[in-house]
Amino acid sequence: MQFSLSNKERVISMRFFKKKKKQTGSNFDPTKDTLTFPELMKKLTASADFSTVKQSSLSTFYISYYKTLVNPEFVHRDLLPYITEIPLKNLDDIEKHLPLDGMVKTSDVHDIANKVTEGFILIQMNKDDPEGLLVPSLSTENRQISIPETEFSVVGPKEAFVESLDTNLNLIRKRLPIPEFTVKEVRVGKLSKTRVAIIYIDGIADKENVNTAIQRVNDIEYDHVVDSSYINQMISDNENSPFPQLIDTERPDRVASVLSEGKVAIMADGSPHALTGPTTIVEFFSAFEDYFLNWTLASVFRLIRLMAVMFSVLSTPLYVAVLTFHYEMIPENLLATLVASRNDIPFPPILEAIVLELSIELLREAGARLPSKVGQTIGIVGGIVIGTAAVQAGLTSNVLLIIVALAALASFTTPVYQMSNTIRLLRFPFLLFAQFLGVLGVAICFAFIISHLLKLTSLGRPYIAPLYPLRVNDLKDALIRMPFSMQNTRPSSVRPQDKAKMNKKRAIEKHDIED
Amino acid sequence: MSQISENKQISPYMAFYMVTTMQIGVGILGFERYIAKSAGHDAWISVIIGGLSFNVLIWMIYRVLSKENADIIGVHRNLFGRWIGGALSCLLLIYFSSTILTVLRTYIEVIQIWVFPELGTPIIAIILLGLAYSYVLGGIRVVAGLSVLGFFLTLPLFLLKYYALKNAHYTNLLPILDHSFSDLMVATKGVTLDYLGFELILLYLPFLKQPEKSQKWAHFGNLFTMFTYLVTVFVSFVYFNQEQLQHTIWATLTLWKIVDLPFAQRFEYAGIALWLFVVLPNLCIGLWSVSRGIHRLYKIKQKSALRTMLFVIFICSILVVDRQQVDILNSKVSQIGFYILYAYIPFLFVIQLTLGRVRKTKNG
Repeated sequence: MQFSLSNKERVISMRFFKKKKKQTGSNFDPTKDTLTFPELMKKLTASADFSTVKQSSLSTFYISYYKTLVNPEFVHRDLLPYITEIPLKNLDDIEKHLPLDGMVKTSDVHDIANKVTEGFILIQMNKDDPEGLLVPSLSTENRQISIPETEFSVVGPKEAFVESLDTNLNLIRKRLPIPEFTVKEVRVGKLSKTRVAIIYIDGIADKENVNTAIQRVNDIEYDHVVDSSYINQMISDNENSPFPQLIDTERPDRVASVLSEGKVAIMADGSPHALTGPTTIVEFFSAFEDYFLNWTLASVFRLIRLMAVMFSVLSTPLYVAVLTFHYEMIPENLLATLVASRNDIPFPPILEAIVLELSIELLREAGARLPSKVGQTIGIVGGIVIGTAAVQAGLTSNVLLIIVALAALASFTTPVYQMSNTIRLLRFPFLLFAQFLGVLGVAICFAFIISHLLKLTSLGRPYIAPLYPLRVNDLKDALIRMPFSMQNTRPSSVRPQDKAKMNKKRAIEKHDIED
Repeated sequence: MSQISENKQISPYMAFYMVTTMQIGVGILGFERYIAKSAGHDAWISVIIGGLSFNVLIWMIYRVLSKENADIIGVHRNLFGRWIGGALSCLLLIYFSSTILTVLRTYIEVIQIWVFPELGTPIIAIILLGLAYSYVLGGIRVVAGLSVLGFFLTLPLFLLKYYALKNAHYTNLLPILDHSFSDLMVATKGVTLDYLGFELILLYLPFLKQPEKSQKWAHFGNLFTMFTYLVTVFVSFVYFNQEQLQHTIWATLTLWKIVDLPFAQRFEYAGIALWLFVVLPNLCIGLWSVSRGIHRLYKIKQKSALRTMLFVIFICSILVVDRQQVDILNSKVSQIGFYILYAYIPFLFVIQLTLGRVRKTKNG
């Protein structure tokens, strides 16, 4: 983070902030040019887990590595037996006798610093000479590939990403065994040096999308990039939008199919989630399981999910709006029920609604922070006991309790976790507008959100794409999912280089009766 | 006008949505009474005549603009020179601004009469103009997007006509052609007021890709408006008799009142709220076009032009106090609009034809 003020500005800032020292950027810089080899060794040996071993059987050489990054078994089984038995004159001899690949001979101090901290073994003939051979031997602790948790599907593959980028790439690559499958790697973060891979299929993905993704990842200025969700926020088109602008998925099969549509995926080492984009808002409401079911079922489920979203956002605000301002809208019979349930409630509808909504959020937040077994108990205690007690005590009406609980349930049908958070948040501005201007307020709030969505982009492509700009051809996989025989083109909103997915004529052969 | 970059432009078919959404405004909620005054139950014929005559006007506008390959401000400058042309453009922009004011103020009036009698004009005006501001800042693409979404959001309102048709008296429409030709013409003049609004295409046409292709869509848009009005008039005429209709100021809103679903009734509350998505595109297209016009005329930044306009319209909307003034505003603005469309556009068309001939002979 090198940021310097111009001379003139510095003079001004000196004048006004004489006592304050202005911090303009981070002074810590592990890649500074003046690093010498002894300095480096001093830094390295300061750690307890760094070891330098002198080997002097037939010839003398030094092996240095981090014990915690390198498996000692590897050193003793695969490295030392090959070089201790023979006389060695220089590093070239060692390189020749070792049956390993990926070795680097270098005397560049920075190279040594980078590689050793990544799990390379440094072999030197002379302890003070920077010239050394770097042998790759990283042993990483990996989690087993497990079943997807947040995007579980009953049918279909059961693999989910793990924290290792190479394993994840393997999971995708074996689903797309073509040479056009391209991985571009970038390192991000001064401290974490996170490996970030930008993945796409050359010849299908739009060059501009790929370049935008690479450019934005390259531009990340942050010292410690932990997870792909960091990257998601840092490269999003609008940082202040509550709407996620890239889809976050843990399913390799989903990433593979998204890539084949001409989109770009971004993965970070250490993160079991891939980001895919450019995306559209309708994609957040399509579960990957939709593609494993027959299209009629999948379409109905998708529509149910969309209605659930509308219900989840609008039901409580409409309850508040109608009961506060337009009770004429309720038919006589229903009104009787409502009046009966609200008869003894001392609070206005808005207060009642906000308290209930907040308590549902409390339950959810408590459930999310607790271990799963305890979480269930909290659900029962909170949901049943508090709910019943609140109604019996006459603090809330049971009609509203039903509505709020249903709305919370509906918000969990959203397949992408981050979107379901957004949806729950959206309810609150709607509630306030409903209290202020009734049904009209709800419409106004809706208009504000549409205005935001119309301006939003994902990797520079419109966010609500198949709806506007209206692309009738893309609607085949938006609100409903048409059969595979009709999915003959890639979504035009991502501008794929190759538009056709298949030869439509061969896919649909029409038969006469009795053919 | 080739200086508008392609990624700022919108598809030609957008002309359809922008023309219909501009034409259908607040007027449709209660225009039956005015046209039925003279032509009675035959007024639907006037709706057709009016709609068809507007197709001719759309054709003229496209001819005028495509010949100069510019918007109306460029056309004025080319035909009448800098000063007279500028003055004409200025007058036109004032007219456009007053249509925005009319739409805004009438919608506020509807809200005050039907939903919130106590709510002050300034509050609603600030909210609506603020909304419009956030849209117009996004540029023509966002504004056009709003008109598409508004179109599809309000399309289901057609279904509400079913409740009126349940209690319809189809004999109300008979005998056909019971009124004289001059009666029909008076009604036609009345109905043209509801077709007004598409003339903003004079300003936004250069922002459509391949303007010549968009002409078809503009015609379709006008025909769709005609269809909507026909359905509206038809339903109102078979539900109300002529006597009742004369006492019904907001016929469509009154029809929404009879909606009776198991979980909701009195649909006019929801309807008026949803009508926001008809009014808002009107305001936004209007504000965008006029601020663009001011930007072209005076070399002011479009953003500052927009802000100034919002302020002026806000002040004006407060100054219109009661129902009668809203009525006067409506009738005056639509009268001016009538003359601009039926007199000034043909005049421009003829002038351009003759001037074009003169230029040709001069050059040849």
